[in-house]
Amino acid sequence: MDTTNQTLKKEGFLSELYGVLRLNIQTYTILLALIGIWGIFFFTTGGTYLASQNVSNLFRQMSVTAFLAAGMVLVIVIGGIDLSVGKLAGFVSVVAAYFQAHIWFEYLPDQPLLAAALTVVVSLLVGALFGALQGYIIAYLRVPSFIVTLGGQWLLNGLILLVTAGKTIPANQPWFSDIAQGYVPATWGWVLGLVAIAFLFWSMFNSRQSKRKHGFALRNIYIDLLATGFAALIILIYVYNVNSYKGIQNPVLLLAATAMIMIYLANNTRFGRYAYAIGGNREAARLSGINIPWMTFSIFVLMGFLSGVGGIVLASYVGYGTIAAGAGYELDAIASCILGGTSTLGGIGTIQGAMIGALIIASLSTGLQMMNVAPAWQYVLKAIVLVLAVLADVYFKKKG
Amino acid sequence: MENDIILEFKNVTKRFPGVVALNDVSFKIRRGEIHGICGENGAGKSTLMKILSGVYPKNTYEGSVLYNGEELMLGEQAIQEAGSKGIAIVYQELTLVPTMSVGENVYLGREPLERGAIDWNKLYADTRGILEKYQLDVPPQAMVKSLGVGKMQMVEIAKALSEDAKVLILDEPTSALSEAEIDKLMDILKSLKNNGITCIYITHKLEELFRITDKITVMRDGKEIVTKPTVEFTQESLVSYMVGREMKERFPKAKRSPGEVIFKVENLKALDPNDASRGILNGVSFEVRKGEILGIAGLMGAGRTELVMTLFGEYARIVDGKITLNGKDIRPTSARQAINAGLSLVPEDRKGMGLILIQSILKNISLPNLDQFSGFFRIDADAELKASLIQSKSLTIKAPSLESTVETLSGGNQQKVVISKWLLSKPSVLIMDDPTRGIDVGAKYEIYKLMNELAENGVAIIMISSDLEEVLGMSDRVMVMCRGHSTETLPVAEATVERVMTLATGVSSDEKLMKAN
Ligand SMILES: Nc1ncnc2c1ncn2[C@@H]1O[C@H](COP(=O)(O)OP(=O)(O)OP(=O)(O)O)[C@@H](O)[C@H]1O
Ligand SMILES: [Mg+2]
Repeated sequence: MDTTNQTLKKEGFLSELYGVLRLNIQTYTILLALIGIWGIFFFTTGGTYLASQNVSNLFRQMSVTAFLAAGMVLVIVIGGIDLSVGKLAGFVSVVAAYFQAHIWFEYLPDQPLLAAALTVVVSLLVGALFGALQGYIIAYLRVPSFIVTLGGQWLLNGLILLVTAGKTIPANQPWFSDIAQGYVPATWGWVLGLVAIAFLFWSMFNSRQSKRKHGFALRNIYIDLLATGFAALIILIYVYNVNSYKGIQNPVLLLAATAMIMIYLANNTRFGRYAYAIGGNREAARLSGINIPWMTFSIFVLMGFLSGVGGIVLASYVGYGTIAAGAGYELDAIASCILGGTSTLGGIGTIQGAMIGALIIASLSTGLQMMNVAPAWQYVLKAIVLVLAVLADVYFKKKG
Repeated sequence: MENDIILEFKNVTKRFPGVVALNDVSFKIRRGEIHGICGENGAGKSTLMKILSGVYPKNTYEGSVLYNGEELMLGEQAIQEAGSKGIAIVYQELTLVPTMSVGENVYLGREPLERGAIDWNKLYADTRGILEKYQLDVPPQAMVKSLGVGKMQMVEIAKALSEDAKVLILDEPTSALSEAEIDKLMDILKSLKNNGITCIYITHKLEELFRITDKITVMRDGKEIVTKPTVEFTQESLVSYMVGREMKERFPKAKRSPGEVIFKVENLKALDPNDASRGILNGVSFEVRKGEILGIAGLMGAGRTELVMTLFGEYARIVDGKITLNGKDIRPTSARQAINAGLSLVPEDRKGMGLILIQSILKNISLPNLDQFSGFFRIDADAELKASLIQSKSLTIKAPSLESTVETLSGGNQQKVVISKWLLSKPSVLIMDDPTRGIDVGAKYEIYKLMNELAENGVAIIMISSDLEEVLGMSDRVMVMCRGHSTETLPVAEATVERVMTLATGVSSDEKLMKAN
């Protein structure tokens, strides 16, 4: 390789740090936005905003949207959109409630664990099957995803009305409730936190190792240490904070696991590579032997499955299924992706970004609620933050 | 005397992260001349022109550009400013909007208005005027995407000219044009010169430089190497200025010994996917041996690209015929099947079909080959890197690293990425559709050498090229296509330019058809 290695020559730590910051300005704008929002609410609520109980709630609040956003990233990356995910999560939550209240109650009255397990299985199946149906129409019958999933949203709305008959169904069986209402015991919380930190450092050194092996430029070790150290610090603060309330919530743990799997899927597997390739240039992807219909179908099935997970958490958390369940969540999920840097043109987007996006949206909602801002103004402020965040992103991209 | 200089570059330096694209470039261009610029891929030609046209405004580069003796200070609205100063450019890449009509494209952004509304009649009438002036046989209302690439290019040129240009920049305008269209373009350029318009002409085709330019500037590695009148260059001296060393021959010698027939196509017929009543391939037969290069010649529209895309399972529906590869009958219906059977295709349009521009070199090279590095789930990043590195090194791709996005590479280096990607899939038959389009002489030579090497290792190569000399120079046998069917396959010793052209224009085959009926 004919390398014009100017950038790789020895530089001072500070100037290299500056360079790294400038190159990744996008990632940092969104993080800065998050910290800014937290800071503002911290002061306007007199500090209660970051009290452990509230932090605990905040992360649980974001979880349903975040499950949806994790799938939505890939859908948008391949150039599609899914408007049905909110209602699908809602429908799944209603189905989960229905099975507990009307079916297991009759046939498995004394086996709450089995009933909860079966509820989960049924819910995931419903989600995945609905995703498969939409995916089939989009991928093989070539109807645009916008139309198919808009139709899907209406259809699900009808189905929710049918199942609930307009009433609220309780979903509060013991094991099932634990899924979203339970906590990880404090000691285990620490163990998990430390394992996560160990993993972060391990993967950092691993990637340096492999870069060195292939003669690639290495970043200054202190920059890598600084970044990883920062992430580790956040984990420690989080664990400490929630442990002083009741501990890490189960849904947050589930979300963390899901996000890790999705990140791995996106970066380290053929499946992920193919998705980004399709979004980057459909024709080139096709000529490279990628089965585009199959990929599209699979991604919508995955999206449906994750909506199923979201629906389970939703039902377990609120404790019932209602006709309004999940309304509008699809837009929160899409906004999370866009805030997190996913390009509406396809081909670009990260799961990590979408997770931070979801956190921003949840932070705004909870903060504004805590301040008793009237709902009308909540919408106005959310609108402003959304557009400003993307504007900042566009601005920095142009400069960078 | 000083007055005669319309443009002067003074110590222009332009940096990109990790690359110095232009390094202290200085030279002058005289008013009313056709000034050629040539040089290897990545030499900085397009970048220099983008400074002129305002893509890179004043504060993004060092040094200065004098236009009519005054410094060119392009600011916020740089591209429009350059346009209004009379600098028009036709970029290397097509920039028309495919879903708009020719007229809309020509007047895009400066539509004639009548009380605030677009005056469509005037727009189309004016467009017709322009098209007629340059003898372009294109209806102004035609949708751009319905035109062939050559026509699109001509429309683009017409658009640039319609802006009342004083300086016209053409960045590799002929890479997609047929011989006839090139002739027409040359005539247009001569008449422009007679009207006192200055023209900067970038090309990799040396014949064109000698045919049309008054002066030539050679660039290499971001530097201006030499600027002097065209008559003072010879083919050889020009090439050695470009590559920085002497190059004796255009086509490298090869000692090929073709083996048994590995790929055979018999009487292939297929229908146009956009219009099922029309046959697009009307009986194509040929065979390729191991270690042989088969050239496919033909005029634009003879169906060469359609043929190879169909063989690759990605274009027309096959209705009749037989394809045999490695002794097995195949009929690929998708690229995956074709790849698995042992075919690879370097497609004609590298940006549209060959590359994912927003992704890194590494990801582009490995894309069709990921199954080599991954089991069911995980991609072995080390193996992927190693294999891609070997490819990029053997083709000498010029880039800061494998992590650079393909978007930032020069045209020729992009083409090398496409070739690398398909070589990595270790095909038994490699199909190359115009593999050296837009590539400099040095890189062409490397690609020819690579083709020879592959053939020596037993790969069968099918090559399409718009450059007949290249087909004749590289092939063992030449198959000539005409209107969707194969005429004759000639051993290269018998394939003279005249013979091939007679077959390609279909004079003789028409007579045969008449007799058959
Ligand atoms: N936007 C960009 N970002 C980074 N590097 C760039 C960018 N544009 C061009 N370059 C680099 O600048 C150098 C000059 O590129 P340029 O496109 O001017 O070459 P060229 O002479 O036109 O080549 P070709 O004949 O292949 O078109 C190349 O090394 C290229 O990789
Ligand atoms: Mg160029």
